Amino acid sequence: MSVALDFRSADHLPNLREDGIPPPPERLPRQRRGITPQMHGRYPDYDVLAHAGHWDEVTRRVVLRRAEQTPPMRFFDAREQRTLRAFCDLVTAQDAEPKIPVLEMVDAKLAAGQLDGYRHHDMPEDPRTWRLVAVGLDETAGGSFADLDGADASRIVSRFAAGELCDGVWRQLPSRKAWGVVMRGVLSAFYSHPWAWNEIGYGGPAYPRGYMRLGVGQRDPHQAAEARDDDPVRAVEQAGL
Amino acid sequence: MRAGNRRADPLEIRRRARLMAKGSAGPTDNDSRFLLDPHRRGLPNVSRMARYGEGDEVDLVVVGAGAGGLTLAQRLARRGWRVVVLESGPFWDPDRDWVSDEAGASKLYWNEPRVIGGEDPVELGKNNSGHGVGGSMVHYAGYAPRFHPSDFRTRSADGVGADWPISYQDLKPHYERIEAELPVAGQRWPWGDPHGYPHAPHPISAGAQRARDGARAAGIDVRVGPVAIANGPFGNRPHCIYRGFCLQGCKVNAKASPLITHLPDAIEHGVEVRADSHAVSIEIATGGRASGVAYQAGGGLHLQRAAAVAVAGYSIETPRLLLNSTSSRFPDGIGNQYDQVGRYLMVQGAPQVAGRFPELLGMYKGPPPEISSEQFYETDESRGFARGFAIQTVGPQPIAWAEHVLADGHWGQALREYMRDYNHWFTLGALCELLPRAENRVTLADEKDARGIPVARVDYSQCDNDRANIAYAKATLHRIWEAAGAQDVLTIDRYAHLVGGCRMGRSPHDSVVDADHRVWGLANVFIADGSVMPTQGSANPALTIMALASRLAERLTAGHAAGSAVA
Repeated sequence: MSVALDFRSADHLPNLREDGIPPPPERLPRQRRGITPQMHGRYPDYDVLAHAGHWDEVTRRVVLRRAEQTPPMRFFDAREQRTLRAFCDLVTAQDAEPKIPVLEMVDAKLAAGQLDGYRHHDMPEDPRTWRLVAVGLDETAGGSFADLDGADASRIVSRFAAGELCDGVWRQLPSRKAWGVVMRGVLSAFYSHPWAWNEIGYGGPAYPRGYMRLGVGQRDPHQAAEARDDDPVRAVEQAGL
Repeated sequence: MRAGNRRADPLEIRRRARLMAKGSAGPTDNDSRFLLDPHRRGLPNVSRMARYGEGDEVDLVVVGAGAGGLTLAQRLARRGWRVVVLESGPFWDPDRDWVSDEAGASKLYWNEPRVIGGEDPVELGKNNSGHGVGGSMVHYAGYAPRFHPSDFRTRSADGVGADWPISYQDLKPHYERIEAELPVAGQRWPWGDPHGYPHAPHPISAGAQRARDGARAAGIDVRVGPVAIANGPFGNRPHCIYRGFCLQGCKVNAKASPLITHLPDAIEHGVEVRADSHAVSIEIATGGRASGVAYQAGGGLHLQRAAAVAVAGYSIETPRLLLNSTSSRFPDGIGNQYDQVGRYLMVQGAPQVAGRFPELLGMYKGPPPEISSEQFYETDESRGFARGFAIQTVGPQPIAWAEHVLADGHWGQALREYMRDYNHWFTLGALCELLPRAENRVTLADEKDARGIPVARVDYSQCDNDRANIAYAKATLHRIWEAAGAQDVLTIDRYAHLVGGCRMGRSPHDSVVDADHRVWGLANVFIADGSVMPTQGSANPALTIMALASRLAERLTAGHAAGSAVA
């Protein structure tokens, strides 16, 4: 790879780029240990699951089950699955395997009747909101949302995020609030998955082993190291090794 | 006994007193820290907890085993009261029930149905409710600031909000007691009523140092703390391991919650906590006194008889219980003769702004509460609005960070890119004092929960002063990051905390309880949680909720409030 990797600079961040679009993730290192969604990331040698032996047993059980078992679909029907899978892939930029099974994780939560503790007075319950979003996306697509090309689908999702979808099903479903409901479900699923933790260099469960090096420039030995394309010979010399 | 004939040097006496106050001397009237097992987190003395029969008329039945309910129970049990605490949620054993995992913490919240409305609806559950023994302090960050003296008289001093029927001085001795019992660690506090803390400040992380440098460069004074995490020997409580999962329940027993700071001592003095017991209504006997609390447990309806009732279900469930407690004498619910129950519900505006830096910061490490500032707490007319805000550090785990990135308008590849950048960021939050308004309130919705009980509806709308406060606070957070040299910033608007809904006052026409927490019109029903607060300041409410319960216990046992309470 010829692109310089220097994450001390912030040039890759959308807010700082004229078009608001980050550089393509293919520029990033391929994952060498463990799995990340689409196998790219900033911490190519970091696998949080390699530390599972340091976690307390209860936490280990919960997190390993999440990583190892894809729950069966019980809540969404086939048509909803097709539409919502396309939606989940797009909003989490999962365009290739391996993918975190976001929709299956959402389905499991809805099938189990787990709620988040509130409902907007002008919105249905969360499970019904998800079903209506599937109908609404297809309606807005004028067919099946899953059949749209990337640009058309992105345009619809942009309007969804901005609360600009108002016709048809969206008349009974304020789209701004519905966006909040579905994205809460999507993001809690995606970023609870250890593969996503590998990608972002997150430490994961930390009990009973915690951290002791908190200060500037300090890293605990079990923390992720970020990829950088320093010349290893010079780096070793500079470190006085 | 005198040690020799030398007269003690007053400076030396003061030095020793200060050393004693720094952690070596614990509270004398609460043995909870010694009643814990250093190797197991479940409470060792649960096996010998008192069990009262339903036929027994206990001295007090408390609804809700959180900050208010358990503090009150512990105090009264020490004075010989027979107390039963009803808790809707489970009796936690942290070893068995809690996980060191963000998504796995959802069972700590009140996830049952509630309806929200108003122009600026408040999302409920995750960051403003609790379920289970220990209440929401089980998963609060641990910030334990006092209210300022000005909070108790904002109406007369600032022309907004309300004056409390009590003053800061009434609560001060209880603040000091609770700070010693939690215990609270932090630097000497220069704001409000200046005071020190029993434990020394914890070390701060690289990100918090960046934030502190930025604040100082922007002319803003910050201090380390105050956080309710022991920092030194404290009975059988282990030291913090800086793992950063304060919001998911402390599996270490380092962070204070009433489950470990007050309940062990309460059990030792005869308190029974009845978990998985959901209060349905306060029962009224002939003569207009409460006779006990009806509750559902194990699929059946039960009644716990008691000479007095204390409700400590927090700002939504407490009003809901009062409104659902209808009788021929109180057709609109208890304490609601003047349509006051549920009104003046408050939340704090809690925008967060994250800053990006070249080096890895790893904001998931260490407790979220590190440094804070109360420099902007009081009214400053030049800012163009009344009252103010506090600034605090927060350390979002990945899901919370993803919500932050989403709120700044990013999804798809942009969201993934910001998420991959996680370790370069650190986050500051503000707590803005939003003003109490009569129309912000808890009512009963048409829908019912699985038990057949009407659920709460919470309506919330901001006023112009609120909006101006939040905007100014956000601009101040941006100023700090700019001064710190942040390369990029991301902003999220949100709320935090809940108080009010059954406020204390001087008349039943504009409040629900009197200065002794007694519900107007009922001699033996008290409210012992954050819902009694007429204003909220810019402070996290936990310490004040405990201090209020501690004061209420003192009033009850000294006979000021009891009088007719326990006949």
